[in-house]
Amino acid sequence: MKITILNGNPNANNVKFDNYLKELSDLLESSNHTVTILKLREMDLKYCMGCFGCWVKTPGECVVADDSRDICREYINSDFVLFASPIIMGFTSALLKKAHDKLIPLIHPYLEIVRNEFHHLARYEKYPMIGLLLEKSKGADEEDIKIISNIYMRDAINLKTSFCFTRLTTDPVEGVANEINRL
Amino acid sequence: MKLTVFNGSPRGKGSSTRVLLEHFLHGFMTAGGNTYELVYLNRVREGDKFVNLFQEAEHVLLAFPLYTDCMPAIVKAFIESLESLCGREGNPDIGFMVQGGFPEAIHSRYVEKYLEKLASRLGCRYVGTIIKGGCEGIRARPAKRTRKLFESFYQLGQIYGETGLFDGELVHTLAQPERLPGLLAMLFKLLVKTRFFMSYWDNMLKENDAYEKRFDKPYAR
Repeated sequence: MKITILNGNPNANNVKFDNYLKELSDLLESSNHTVTILKLREMDLKYCMGCFGCWVKTPGECVVADDSRDICREYINSDFVLFASPIIMGFTSALLKKAHDKLIPLIHPYLEIVRNEFHHLARYEKYPMIGLLLEKSKGADEEDIKIISNIYMRDAINLKTSFCFTRLTTDPVEGVANEINRL
Repeated sequence: MKLTVFNGSPRGKGSSTRVLLEHFLHGFMTAGGNTYELVYLNRVREGDKFVNLFQEAEHVLLAFPLYTDCMPAIVKAFIESLESLCGREGNPDIGFMVQGGFPEAIHSRYVEKYLEKLASRLGCRYVGTIIKGGCEGIRARPAKRTRKLFESFYQLGQIYGETGLFDGELVHTLAQPERLPGLLAMLFKLLVKTRFFMSYWDNMLKENDAYEKRFDKPYAR
């Protein structure tokens, strides 16, 4: 599989988190996956302004020429994407959310009804499966993890895919790799 | 009552969030002695000012559009900037307003859970969350189609201005439909494929000379 890991760790001093992802990536590559880690904090990312330019001016591409274009390219050409972030104030980082907001060029403005709900239409034929890797920082509890997972599960409908799992960085890295191997 | 309002729309003054807030605040101001201060979180460079305002506030309203079934990143960045205030004595009470493009409230119910937990994390009294779907393009709608909606927000603001509470019945009514009834969903399955439904986007695509490119897949390999 082609796997992309969105590293939403905003803090360069949190080496442990980055090392976990590196170890995971090495393990996955040893199982013949191709892995790309996108270190979001080192990328030039502007906030989504909600201008809808990616839908009505330059369909499929953000009108702002920042690195979100590379993220979108990697994302849509992956079989699996791991959203990875420390839990900050009960949710994934603003950095990861910044990248997440900029995925909307990958879907289409037109509407469809999915599970009796309004959603946007797919732009591409195929979308990657998604999973979540969280670092349970101080103050985060089980309820937070459930809230975050449920929001990602919901967003999987928008991203035309299935939400596969939530894992914590306290889990052995081999367990996370095995879970991805089983997909 | 002094209210501090954070508009979390990335579109700032050009947002549907601003329009709804405007009506809420008109209602809020009808009670004698009420004042408010309104700031736009899309001015991300003013982050320090936002934290100070929150710290000094007695009552806070945080309003934003639903992005990827959640808060926009600028709102999450603001929330992160409040981390040092968690559990501080004297934190303001806090209410939220979430508006979305899709008509059903279900899309916003998951972030609502987050917001309730956020209030408790900060140690703020939770006033509630106003959820309103179907807001995309409300600025461009004729007045007769928005009158009822704006009146509801005005009333909500009025009651909040008098009591410090969101009126439960109004909040419930505004959130309707919670989900699409099965028959209606079946009908919309057909309707969304019609030119009428697509015209909102098609008109913009045509204005930008991009209509022929509307199905482009620039990243397909």
